[in-house]
Amino acid sequence: MADEVTPTWEDVARTYGRKIYNFAYRLTGNPDDAADLVQEVLLRVRKGLSSYTPGSFDGWLWRITRNAFLDDVRKKKRRPTSPLPDDERNIAASSPSPDEVLASVRLSEDIQSALLKVPLDFRECVVLCDVVGLTYEEIAEAVEAPVGTVRSRIHRGRKMLRELLTWPV
Amino acid sequence: MARVKASDACATAGLVSAYLDGQLLPGELDVVVEHLNGCAECIAEFHALREVRAAVRTLPYLEVPDRLLPDTHPGEQLSAYLDGQLATAEHDFVLSHIDYCTDCRLELHELDAARTAIRSLPGLEPPEFTSVQRDRIERERWSRRRVATAGLGIAAAAALFFATFGPSSSPVGDLDINPYLDQHQARVSVEPGINFIPAIAPVGGTP
Repeated sequence: MADEVTPTWEDVARTYGRKIYNFAYRLTGNPDDAADLVQEVLLRVRKGLSSYTPGSFDGWLWRITRNAFLDDVRKKKRRPTSPLPDDERNIAASSPSPDEVLASVRLSEDIQSALLKVPLDFRECVVLCDVVGLTYEEIAEAVEAPVGTVRSRIHRGRKMLRELLTWPV
Repeated sequence: MARVKASDACATAGLVSAYLDGQLLPGELDVVVEHLNGCAECIAEFHALREVRAAVRTLPYLEVPDRLLPDTHPGEQLSAYLDGQLATAEHDFVLSHIDYCTDCRLELHELDAARTAIRSLPGLEPPEFTSVQRDRIERERWSRRRVATAGLGIAAAAALFFATFGPSSSPVGDLDINPYLDQHQARVSVEPGINFIPAIAPVGGTP
């Protein structure tokens, strides 16, 4: 999205709704929490767009998303996240072979489970990078930290995942 | 290429992920590449992190439930948009929406056509009477007055005739309503709900 143009709320919902949902789902492992977060973020975006100053829209949006997520975490007092639901196989994209589907689901479950064990500061940076696809600068703006910190968190987060995952997958 | 010293390995190890992501700062790339060419430990870490990165990126991208996304069509806002009755944010929303939504753009054009058609209806002016029409209307008015006066005269004559020669037992002017009032009050005292008669009974209601 061009930096100079302020998108409408509808544009944001259409363009970013899916990304926000995936970000929230990978961070929480819970579809209900992810759904709640999408609604909360879109609400905040709708309220905030009128005062938004054109600039890095992605940074602005993901900062809102992250803050909404953190607010929710604080509100729920860091309640334990539930494991990936069994019905994810109905949501996830599948490949033709049943064995491949099963392997893919197991892999997803392993990765999701490992992600949830990584501390939040590192997890959010890894998810913003590898799931959402933001650059380090955009992540830095979203998490309100220097780029060097983001770089370190992504690196350390991946190393933690490396320790948590069972290889070969 | 010269092997990077161990002390350099510590300094560049943290850059492996950034290298994978193509997020190294200017000047860092050469350093990391040179280091990776000579450090088996960092090469192993590079491969491990690349696998982790690939694994996370294989996570299926989930579809957001439809219920979470707003109804993206303006609907009733279109007419208000035509009439300039929307708030700024809503106006911008409709404006941007019709830019790409063919259905809503078509609906807007239809609404605009209907609105234009209604607004193009000619305003009606009161008719201007010619002198001939005015004279005719005056004549008809006087004619109706004469008929009415004649009718009143006939009625008065008839009343005088009945007053003079009619039966004296039931003159119209001597109607006594007191018995009816007494009956009514007697009924009201027994049935309080009948002290008035509604003009129209409610539809589907109790009598």
